[in-house]
Amino acid sequence: MPGSGMRFVAGRILRNEERGGIFYRLVAEIPAPVRFVPGQFAMVSGWPGNDPLLPRPLAVFRSGKKKEFGTVEFVYKVVGRGTALLSGLHHGDSLSLTLPLGRGFDLAEEGRRFWLVGGGVGFSSVFPAAVSLGRRRIGHEIFLGAKARAHLPPREWTPGGAGPGRIHLCTEDGSAGFRGRVTEAVLERLSSLSEGEAARLTILACGPWPMLKELAASALRKGVSIQVALENHMACGFGVCWGCVVSLRDGEGTAYRRVCREGPVFDGREVVW
Amino acid sequence: MKPDLSVTLGPLTVRNPVMSASGTFGYGLEFSPFYDISRLGMIVVKGLSLAPTAGNRPGRIVETPAGMLNAIGLQNIGVARFVADVVPRLEEAGASYAANIYGKTVEEYEELASRLSEVASLSAIEVNASCPNVQEGGMAFGATPEGIRELTARVRRRTSKPLWVKLTPNVADVGRIAKAAQEGGADAVSLINTLVGMAVDHRTRRPLLSNVTGGLSGPAIKPVALRMVWEAARAVSIPVIGIGGIQTAADALEFILVGAKAVQVGTANFRNPGVCIEILEGIEAFLREERIARLEDYRGALST
Repeated sequence: MPGSGMRFVAGRILRNEERGGIFYRLVAEIPAPVRFVPGQFAMVSGWPGNDPLLPRPLAVFRSGKKKEFGTVEFVYKVVGRGTALLSGLHHGDSLSLTLPLGRGFDLAEEGRRFWLVGGGVGFSSVFPAAVSLGRRRIGHEIFLGAKARAHLPPREWTPGGAGPGRIHLCTEDGSAGFRGRVTEAVLERLSSLSEGEAARLTILACGPWPMLKELAASALRKGVSIQVALENHMACGFGVCWGCVVSLRDGEGTAYRRVCREGPVFDGREVVW
Repeated sequence: MKPDLSVTLGPLTVRNPVMSASGTFGYGLEFSPFYDISRLGMIVVKGLSLAPTAGNRPGRIVETPAGMLNAIGLQNIGVARFVADVVPRLEEAGASYAANIYGKTVEEYEELASRLSEVASLSAIEVNASCPNVQEGGMAFGATPEGIRELTARVRRRTSKPLWVKLTPNVADVGRIAKAAQEGGADAVSLINTLVGMAVDHRTRRPLLSNVTGGLSGPAIKPVALRMVWEAARAVSIPVIGIGGIQTAADALEFILVGAKAVQVGTANFRNPGVCIEILEGIEAFLREERIARLEDYRGALST
């Protein structure tokens, strides 16, 4: 449920480390433990002054407990000024966080199999889903797409629950796993599914818009259900600025829905791509 | 002794001067997870139109130095759903709230004022004569003294609720515009709405907002807002509500110092959902520290 347990808190950085020159992992201590649904996010800021003005949305990667405090963990990539400033913060620096935000993946339905597809840093949104599925022993496979090997997440971040042979790496330059886009790998596997298998499958995906668009189109053709975690520029993250909307099917027409509130996870068949 | 923060805005007395600015606070209830929204002097809800409004195409916000541009286009649920679904929940929360209204024609403003006048718990109506992001209405009415006088007078005839007019800064002489609102029968003026701005990408050669232009808000506009509130306060005898880039109690006090009776906090809510309460507590702490018994004793105390 969006809004459930939502809070604005001061945090303190425990770790903020670079991994492989591409990703950063940030762990912060917060006043109390927070429960989150995979796919939910936080608005995070920590730089002094008014520029940039707005916090940045980051998917919640993990949360935990440390003595009486809570911890929360994010994985991010430097994409602009906000994330660049965030990457410069150190152990002990303070953060402002609003979390958990939005509606995450729906993993509740019985008897389904899941394919989790992460493009680029999109793995930060789908790995928590894999952890949750693994804990409940629900069958799933993970597809990861990146430009090259160095852009894939470090191995120790990959959840173990998918089991051997259940993680499919795809790189555009062929430096690891399947050579090509992750969408091609997924499409290839989709084409070999029986109708019955397709009907029991749910794809959970996070990544660049063209990747999600292509996956949603393929899933629709095959009768596979798909949930997509979208990204957008946001001012508030909790539903009051109305800046982050996307167009969704609504009865006969379409309507603008907030990525931060009705999303970030949407039914891929309802998004107007 | 607890300082007296109450403020009299013509026919209406509010418990304190801290209000949320329309368009930055949803319908108020969105902030209930963060604090008790009945503590605010006033919640000014997102601009309401007669029918639900879809708003502008995405590409609605852009961050700019110490500020942001928006071109939301007044996406809202419409007055009927507001009255049916939101009002009972605001009442239940014990919140003081005002409705910001927006029409494409003067008749639409009149109709909105009539409908909302029947809502007993509504504290005030704020006429949005200043939205820069819609093709018709909004700023089109608010840009000339004649337009604002006419619009205010016609809405005035349809409601006995306290009537505020929210002014645009995109004019040469805001004092004249404020005066015209007073002549039209406004109980208060609130200013400033956003400054029209623009952001483009020099590589893609495209504007960053689908609407091309948008409204600039945030700390970047505070000096302009402060100057305009000062000018308006000197031009009118009705209360002035100061808006524009307020992020701290000190910011709010600066507006009160130049003559504002109350303030509205806007964009700061986006980066800190608890900011209105921090500002409220900060104002109270300042008055204690300075041994000022009533906020009213400090208002307009600027010595030039």
